[in-house]
Amino acid sequence: MTTYDAGDVTLHKVREFVWEIPATGEMGVPARVLASESLLDEISEDKTLEQLRNATHLPGVRNHAICMPDGHQGYGFPVGGVAGIDAEEGCISPGAIGYDINCGVRMVRTDLTYDDLRGREEELVDALFANVPSGLGGGGIVEGDIDTVEAVLDRGLDWALEEGYAVREDLAHCEDEGVRYDSDPAKVPQKAKDRGKNQLGSLGSGNHFLEVQRVTDTYLDGVADAYGLEEGQIVVLIHCGSRGLGHQVCTEYLRDIEKAHAGLLSRLPDKELAAAPAGSQLAEDYYGAMCAAINFAWVNRQLITHRTRQVFEKVFDADWETLGMDLLYDVAHNIAKKETHTVGIGSDGRPASGGDATDTEERELYVHRKGATRAFPAGHPEVPEAYRDVGQPIIIPGSMGAGSYVLRGGEESMDRTFGSTAHGAGRTMSRTQAKQDYWGGDVQDDLEQEHIYVKAQSGATVAEEAPGVYKDVDEVVRVSDALGIGDKVARTFPVCNIKG
Amino acid sequence: MSYRLRDHTADVAVEATGESLGAVFAAAGDGLAAAMCEAPPATGDRFELSVRAESREALLFDYLDELIYQRDVRAVLPVDNEVTVRAADGEWVADASARGVPLSAVSAREVKAVTYSEMELAETDGGWRAYVVFDV
Repeated sequence: MTTYDAGDVTLHKVREFVWEIPATGEMGVPARVLASESLLDEISEDKTLEQLRNATHLPGVRNHAICMPDGHQGYGFPVGGVAGIDAEEGCISPGAIGYDINCGVRMVRTDLTYDDLRGREEELVDALFANVPSGLGGGGIVEGDIDTVEAVLDRGLDWALEEGYAVREDLAHCEDEGVRYDSDPAKVPQKAKDRGKNQLGSLGSGNHFLEVQRVTDTYLDGVADAYGLEEGQIVVLIHCGSRGLGHQVCTEYLRDIEKAHAGLLSRLPDKELAAAPAGSQLAEDYYGAMCAAINFAWVNRQLITHRTRQVFEKVFDADWETLGMDLLYDVAHNIAKKETHTVGIGSDGRPASGGDATDTEERELYVHRKGATRAFPAGHPEVPEAYRDVGQPIIIPGSMGAGSYVLRGGEESMDRTFGSTAHGAGRTMSRTQAKQDYWGGDVQDDLEQEHIYVKAQSGATVAEEAPGVYKDVDEVVRVSDALGIGDKVARTFPVCNIKG
Repeated sequence: MSYRLRDHTADVAVEATGESLGAVFAAAGDGLAAAMCEAPPATGDRFELSVRAESREALLFDYLDELIYQRDVRAVLPVDNEVTVRAADGEWVADASARGVPLSAVSAREVKAVTYSEMELAETDGGWRAYVVFDV
């Protein structure tokens, strides 16, 4: 058997691009890493594997805890981590979802071509930067009061539709149609609402951005047609989440769970994995609050879409419908969802994995995706009708200097990854190191040489997000495609980028 | 008291030292500010905050969370942190103050949240040492 030695962890090769850490000690199930050897070299450099192994200690993890090809060290659970945890016998863990609940990406199509945009890049990037709030303390597109925040938490994109910030077609092209009906705004802490009300419709900073891109390649032509993508076309990619509201929801539930479920916590190897047992009051409360924060993030991205359409209308002197600025799709990265999946069971009828599994059954799971994207294949009932014949769109943003990708949910995703794939390129260099190696102004100049126009609130953000700090997005996508969990449909390249 | 920003693949870690618990808390708070902004101006009014928790480590977590919360609701960057830590009724209390530099006056990046991941708070020969990872 081929093995990969990563210090105190030995991985066994199951098949091409699938590596397994066998269950030992307190691990409930084995862990799997989906990666080529070159990606594994990067993944094994930090604490990603240790964090992945730790995640298998959570009660009720079924089949395997899985690290996607873009995985890297996070806090508690690695970024790029997926765990299907039994919704009856398991638990829900805020730290395994992440602070930025429903951090996600959406892509907006246009009928513009790169030729229409050339020569006007600076005008467009300036107009976007001036009109889309970003950075710290930049406010939001909507001056929200608590009633507004409550309505957003409750109804998600239904609220945006009622208020004129969305059209019905936007909802039809969003994961869960932009509303989690399990939301319970009353369970969202007051301090979270206080933080969120000034940030409704804002990018934030860090790795969040708005990017105008051109489609450079299409691969699966029938699917690209269904997505309305063709070479030379301009699209807009928006990457942000639930802002301070989501961060505060995670923080406060983490603390409440730490106090209420200390017994379970004492059996976990990392305090950041604190989890509420399925069926407990805190599990129900957190799920309601998390779903509300998910709604907030969808509205956040919708408001930025609305503002982006207005900016394009002004710059190109045509209404957005004429410019063809339809939402292609909106995917969430940091979420948990109750979904039904096939899990292994042993000869005693109890859940089992690997060689111990002699049969399978359907179970309801809290599928935790932290820095991972849902990737449902063609025919799945939860894929929007418009895409059901071809599979759910997946948007994989790369760095400012590299391409991004549009994939479609692959045939193997349900069996291999609880219907999930990667979410981006994945960092490989720390922010502190990046600021030593790069200077924001130089990075901007270099990118402009490649006809990529970047505007940011902070030069340090540009340095921290320099193209060289990310893994090779081409390799991440190659592995996803080869495993059949997310198939390559189109590639895009940046033209204008704004960030906090 | 002092702090250092430490490498972390995706996020930012702060290592802080201080002669007392209050000093190490304040240094961690100053490290949080440095992770957001390199050179804040000498402007802004001081404000006070107080946090209570069941353990010293939880108190550090809640104190740093409160600084992030105050940043967002007051629209200021909390710098020049001062903290006194005391035990009270079986719990721990941090009485703190910070100078709030208006966010409109700085070019700053957002730290999203404090985490428990790899958190350390330990007594050393010279006082206290803390290690905290922040989500960026």
